[in-house]
Amino acid sequence: MSEASGAGPLIQVENITRVFHVGGEEVRALRGVSFGINRGEWVAIIGQSGSGKSTMMNVLGCLDTPSSGRYMLNGKDVSRMSDDELAVIRNVEIGFIFQTFQLLPRETALANVELPLVYRGLGTRERRERAKAALDKVQLTHRMHHRPNELSGGQRQRVAIARALVSEPSMLLADEPTGNLDSATGEEIVRLFEQLHQAGHTLVLVTHEPKLAARCPRAIRLSDGEIVADGDGRTVAMGTATDVLNAGGA
Amino acid sequence: MSQVSAFRVDVLEGARIAVFSLKANRLRTVLTTLGIGIGVATLLAIVGIIQGLNTSFHNQLATFGANTMYVSKFPWMIKGDWWKYRNRKNFTLDQLHRLRTLAPFVTAMSPAVSRISDVAHGGEQLSTVRVQGVTHEYLNISGYELTGGRFLTEADDATTRPVAVVGADVVDGLFPGVSPVGQSIRIDNRSFQVVGTLSRKGKMVGQSMDLLVFIPFKTFYSSFGKGRGFEIAMAVEDASRMRSAEDQLTGILRRVRSTPPGAEDDFSINRPEAMAQTYEQLTGALYGVAVGVGLITLLVGGIGIMNIMLVSVRERTREIGVRRALGARKRTIVFQFLMEASSVSAVGGLLGTTVGLGTAKVVSLITPLAADVQPMTVVAGVGFAALVGLLFGIWPAARAANLDPVEALRYE
Repeated sequence: MSEASGAGPLIQVENITRVFHVGGEEVRALRGVSFGINRGEWVAIIGQSGSGKSTMMNVLGCLDTPSSGRYMLNGKDVSRMSDDELAVIRNVEIGFIFQTFQLLPRETALANVELPLVYRGLGTRERRERAKAALDKVQLTHRMHHRPNELSGGQRQRVAIARALVSEPSMLLADEPTGNLDSATGEEIVRLFEQLHQAGHTLVLVTHEPKLAARCPRAIRLSDGEIVADGDGRTVAMGTATDVLNAGGA
Repeated sequence: MSQVSAFRVDVLEGARIAVFSLKANRLRTVLTTLGIGIGVATLLAIVGIIQGLNTSFHNQLATFGANTMYVSKFPWMIKGDWWKYRNRKNFTLDQLHRLRTLAPFVTAMSPAVSRISDVAHGGEQLSTVRVQGVTHEYLNISGYELTGGRFLTEADDATTRPVAVVGADVVDGLFPGVSPVGQSIRIDNRSFQVVGTLSRKGKMVGQSMDLLVFIPFKTFYSSFGKGRGFEIAMAVEDASRMRSAEDQLTGILRRVRSTPPGAEDDFSINRPEAMAQTYEQLTGALYGVAVGVGLITLLVGGIGIMNIMLVSVRERTREIGVRRALGARKRTIVFQFLMEASSVSAVGGLLGTTVGLGTAKVVSLITPLAADVQPMTVVAGVGFAALVGLLFGIWPAARAANLDPVEALRYE
């Protein structure tokens, strides 16, 4: 793991804005957002739809670049990187977990988990071993030769988590990870996150569900593209502490 | 990750996904392949047949000998008014003898006249046999060789003997397993004695060169009438100086035929080599048209590929988003779709090659046309098909690679 490497926060976001041009109109999805996330933290980014949390997640995941401001990830300024460089950053630093799982339907669970390592240029044998190890962490080795449509929703999300873990990224970035699951299965996934957190992984979880955010030690609330609260997960999630800006980040 | 290993990932992963996707959409792959396949098949079949024609034509021309000329009132390839040639005066034997004395560079000379006849022996009969009246020197001009007996002699001609020298097809048709020399044949119900047999020449432009009988020139006239004119076949000393020989011969012929000064030649000097040029002009045009048709078919096939690739990109928008999120670079995505497009096309090319070659083969079996496909044609066929796929795959592949990963992941 890269948790041990380097001092200072893993993520440092400074005054980030993101402006979209839709039909000649300017939409300011992020209006100067700053925060830091340390290694090993478990942070929820919470907000209503339209709050800018999806844009925040895309920027954090290096799928999108900010219009202005600086984004330091693991000591590297990724806010001005080229498309190819960002592809490498996504491959090495970030493990994505999506609401809709985003598994390739025609590939087996094992092949899906191997995919990030394919793009890293690893040989077949090493890929296979590491993918199996990752599937073992989510207790799915017995289903590894099945295709996604032969797996339950919870199993699919566990395959997706294994895929995120396999490249040993600096952070896991989850977008509404329980959104497509029933509450029991969702709980199962949250427990898995708790385990990963205890094992030292850095987790960033983007959600609109206060209940989910309340399970995180820290939460950042976005509204209209700005941070309106940052602090203890439960407090921020329940919306009782709109004036605790900087309380948790400091 | 180094540049080399990055490239390896692009190619290997691209190829793997391409094969995977082609397998997953078998019906679609086959249908797409057909377009390209038909183009390649058309191209190869036509090219094969024309190449075959050319090869056999040249082989046959070679047996004529490069040092031969055929003087006649008709050119071999008539351009324009046939009646103009028809109305020229026939050659006479007197002109032939004068020509002989005036043209010392001619080493062999023979009049030649021919008709198509039925030839029979016992119960067997061959129709459409070419019967030629020639003299003893013709053997050296014609390029045939004797395989048995003797050729016609001066005495045969002088005394109008009913003797015949027969071609290989006549031997096979009338005398299976029997030596023909000494036997008698009937040419249009006139009796002739076989005195010699000829070596096989094969086919030229689909016509057998061995279904023929030589008889003495004078015998021909006495048997079948003097009405028709003859041509004068000749061999000259030096094959490398055919042009100057032709010029000299033109002057001599004008004198012999008393052509008025300033008037057009009233004869034609035909050379097999010159015929080859005319022939090449003719098939060259045909070749061009055929290749054009094949290329248009390939173009249509290519558009089919482009269409299906655009569908494929749209269908797999989310997959592209996922791959991009997991670290695939734009180039990797481009490779993936280019590989897919060119492998569909290459499969089509292979299919087309098989069908095209098969067609050419079948055509050569059931018609007199000989097909000849050179290995390079096959390589070019498959390679060209793959190239077409590559070209028409560029735009869809670029579209795929330029998708915004955020949008692609959200695509329903």
